[in-house]
Amino acid sequence: MLKMTRLEKVYRTHLIETHALRSIDIHVREGEFVAVTGPSGSGKTTFLNIAGLLETLTGGQYMLDGVDASKLDDNARSKLRNEKIGFIFQSFNLIPDLNIFDNIDVPLRYRRMSAAERKGRIDGALARVGLASRMKHYPSELSGGQQQRVAIARALAGSPRLLLADEPTGNLDSLMARGVMELLEEINRQGTTIIMVTHDPELAARAQRNIHIMDGQVTDLDEQPRLRSSTPMPDKNTHVA
Amino acid sequence: MEIGPIFSALRRNKVGALLIALQVALTLAIICNALFIINERLAFIARPTGIDEGNIFVIKNLWVGRGTDAQNTSLLQTDLQTLRDLPGVADVYSTNTVPLTNGGWSDGVNLTADQEHSTTQAANYFVDEHALNTMDIKLVAGRNFKPEEITDRAERDSGLPDSMIVTQEFAQKMFPTESALGKAVYMEGKKPTTIIGIIENLQVPWVGSWVKTWGYTAALIPQRMIRQNSAYVVRAKPGQLQTAMKAAETKLFSINPLRVISSVKPFSEIRAKAYRGDRAMAILLSIVCSALLIITALGIVGLASFWVTQRRKQIGTRRALGATRRNIVNYFQTENLLITLVGIVLGIVLAVGLNLWLVNNFELTRLTWWYLPMGAVMILLLGQAAVLPPARRAASVPPAVATRSA
Ligand SMILES: Nc1ncnc2c1ncn2[C@@H]1O[C@H](COP(=O)(O)OP(=O)(O)OP(=O)(O)O)[C@@H](O)[C@H]1O
Ligand SMILES: [Mg+2]
Repeated sequence: MLKMTRLEKVYRTHLIETHALRSIDIHVREGEFVAVTGPSGSGKTTFLNIAGLLETLTGGQYMLDGVDASKLDDNARSKLRNEKIGFIFQSFNLIPDLNIFDNIDVPLRYRRMSAAERKGRIDGALARVGLASRMKHYPSELSGGQQQRVAIARALAGSPRLLLADEPTGNLDSLMARGVMELLEEINRQGTTIIMVTHDPELAARAQRNIHIMDGQVTDLDEQPRLRSSTPMPDKNTHVA
Repeated sequence: MEIGPIFSALRRNKVGALLIALQVALTLAIICNALFIINERLAFIARPTGIDEGNIFVIKNLWVGRGTDAQNTSLLQTDLQTLRDLPGVADVYSTNTVPLTNGGWSDGVNLTADQEHSTTQAANYFVDEHALNTMDIKLVAGRNFKPEEITDRAERDSGLPDSMIVTQEFAQKMFPTESALGKAVYMEGKKPTTIIGIIENLQVPWVGSWVKTWGYTAALIPQRMIRQNSAYVVRAKPGQLQTAMKAAETKLFSINPLRVISSVKPFSEIRAKAYRGDRAMAILLSIVCSALLIITALGIVGLASFWVTQRRKQIGTRRALGATRRNIVNYFQTENLLITLVGIVLGIVLAVGLNLWLVNNFELTRLTWWYLPMGAVMILLLGQAAVLPPARRAASVPPAVATRSA
C-alpha cells in the first residue's frame, strides 16, 4: 500500500534548514492499522503529510499503491488524494458555513459523480457514524465528538483505501476519544488501511502496530502482535526498519 | 460547479456579500445612465456642420470710424477681392454668422403670407455667390446665386430678396411631398421668396437644445451685410490654413490699417468653444464612471482577499480533500458571479428607475435598452477580473495548511 525508502524531508527557510525526516524506511501493508507515536516536533505530521500527498518529499522514494509520488504533478496529487485517501484532522476541519450534508459532499463534488450517487454515499457515511439525523445541522451545533464523526464520515464517503488521521482524538475527552477509536477500528475491520498519529499511549496500544518517530527517524518498530479477536493479524516481519 | 453549497455558504456571510452586491447595483445603475448620456453627448458633439471645417477660418473685422454705407460697401469689396487674390486662399465670402457661433438670425417660415403659426423656424445666413464654394457645400438641386443677384443690406434695410437657397432639411420640412425647387415661402413680411437652389447640409449657428427640431434648417440669403463690422469666411487651399491665416491678416492691414481685426480663428477653434461644456460634461461623467468601476473593483478585491485570509484553513482542507488549484479559483469566481448577479438584477431595476427620474426631471431621453446588458456584462467581467488575483492567492494556499494550522 505505502512504501517509503530512505525518505527525507528538509524544510528550507532563508535562515535555517530543518531536517524533519531523516532517511526513514516505512512499509505499511494493505489493511493494516498503524499508530505513529513520538514526541512533539519529531516529524509525525510531516510523515503523514507526505504519506497523504499534502507535501512533497525532498529525498528518497515514496511509492503509494505502486505509484511513485515524486513523479506526480499538483493536479494528479489532488486527484489521488480525492480518490484514494481520506483525512481526519485533530481539529476536525469541517467547513463552518456548510451543513453536515454539504460538508461530507465537499470531496465528492471534486469527482464527476451524479447527485444521486453523492446523496447515496453521504447518507451511507452518515449512517455509519450514527449521525443520519443531523445532516441539516451546522458544525457549530454539534459536540466535538460528533464533529469528528462527521469528519470521519466525510473521509469515508469517498471510499478511500487509505485513511490518515493526525491526532484524531487530540481535541476530545477520553469518552469521546474512545468512541472515535472504536469507529476507526470498525472501519479498519472492513478493509481500510489506517495510519493514525497519536500522543495517547492507550490508543496507540490498540493499533496493530506502532511506529515510533524521534527526531525525524524511526527509532522503534513495535513488533509485538496484539491479539484482538476480530482483527486480521498482520505479518510480523513485513515492516522495514 | 458547486453553486448550491457556495450559495448556502454565502447566505451565512450575508453582510459582506450584500454590501458588494449593493455597490455593484449602484455602480451599474449609474454607469448605464452615465454611459448613455456620454454617448449622446459625443454623438451630439460629432455632428458635422456640413462645411469644410478643416480648411476654413473666420476673420472678424471692425472699421475704425463709422463710414457711410457706400464707403463700407467699397471697403468690403476691396477686402474680399484682396483676400481672394492671396495665393493660399481658395475662396472668401462675408456673412453675418457661421455655424456653431451661437449667434445669428432666425425667422419663422410660412407657406402663405398670413399663416398664423410658422411651419418651421430657420436660420438666415446672409451670403454672396462665393459662399457655396467657400464652405464647400454640395448643391443637390437648382443653382447657385449669380453675382448680379447679390444685393447690399444696410443696417436699416428689412425684407428679403426674391430668391434664396435652402438646406435639404428646410426643403423637406416645407415641402415634404414635392420638390421645393421654384416654390415660394414667406419669411420676413408678406413678400414671397423663391427657392432657387437646395444644398445638402448646413447646420444652424446654435447648438442648444432649443434648435433640436431645426438644427439643419437654414436659408442662404443673397445679401451682403453692410456694417461697420463684418465677418469674412475664408477657405484656405489644402494644407495652407496656417500660412493663409497669417498672410490674410498681414495683407488686410497693409491695404488699410484703419481697422481692428478682433480675431482670426480656424474653424476648429469655433467648434471647440461651441462644445466646451458638452465635452467637459462627457469627461466628468467618464471620470465618475471610471472612479465608480475602480472603487467597485477594489471592493471586490478587498472582500475576496479578506475571505481568502479568513478561509485559509478551509481552503487547505479543500485542497487536502482533493480540490485542484483550478477548483479553488473556480470557487471564488463562482462566488463572485453569484454576488455580482444579485447586484446586477438590483442594478437593472435601479438603472431604469434612475433613468425615469432623469427623464422626468431633466431634458433627457429614455435609456436605450441595450445599455443595460452592456453595463451588466461590463460589471460581470470587472468582477471576474477583480476576484482573480485573490482567487489565485487562495489557490496557492498549500494543502498542508489542513494539518499545520490549529
Ligand atoms: N513548513 C515548515 N517549515 C519549516 N519547518 C517546519 C515546517 N513544518 C514543520 N517544520 C518542522 O519540522 C519538524 C517536524 O514537525 P512535525 O509537525 O512533523 O512534528 P510533529 O511530530 O507532528 O509534532 P507535534 O506532535 O507537535 O504535532 C519540526 O521541527 C517543525 O518545526
Ligand atoms: Mg503534528
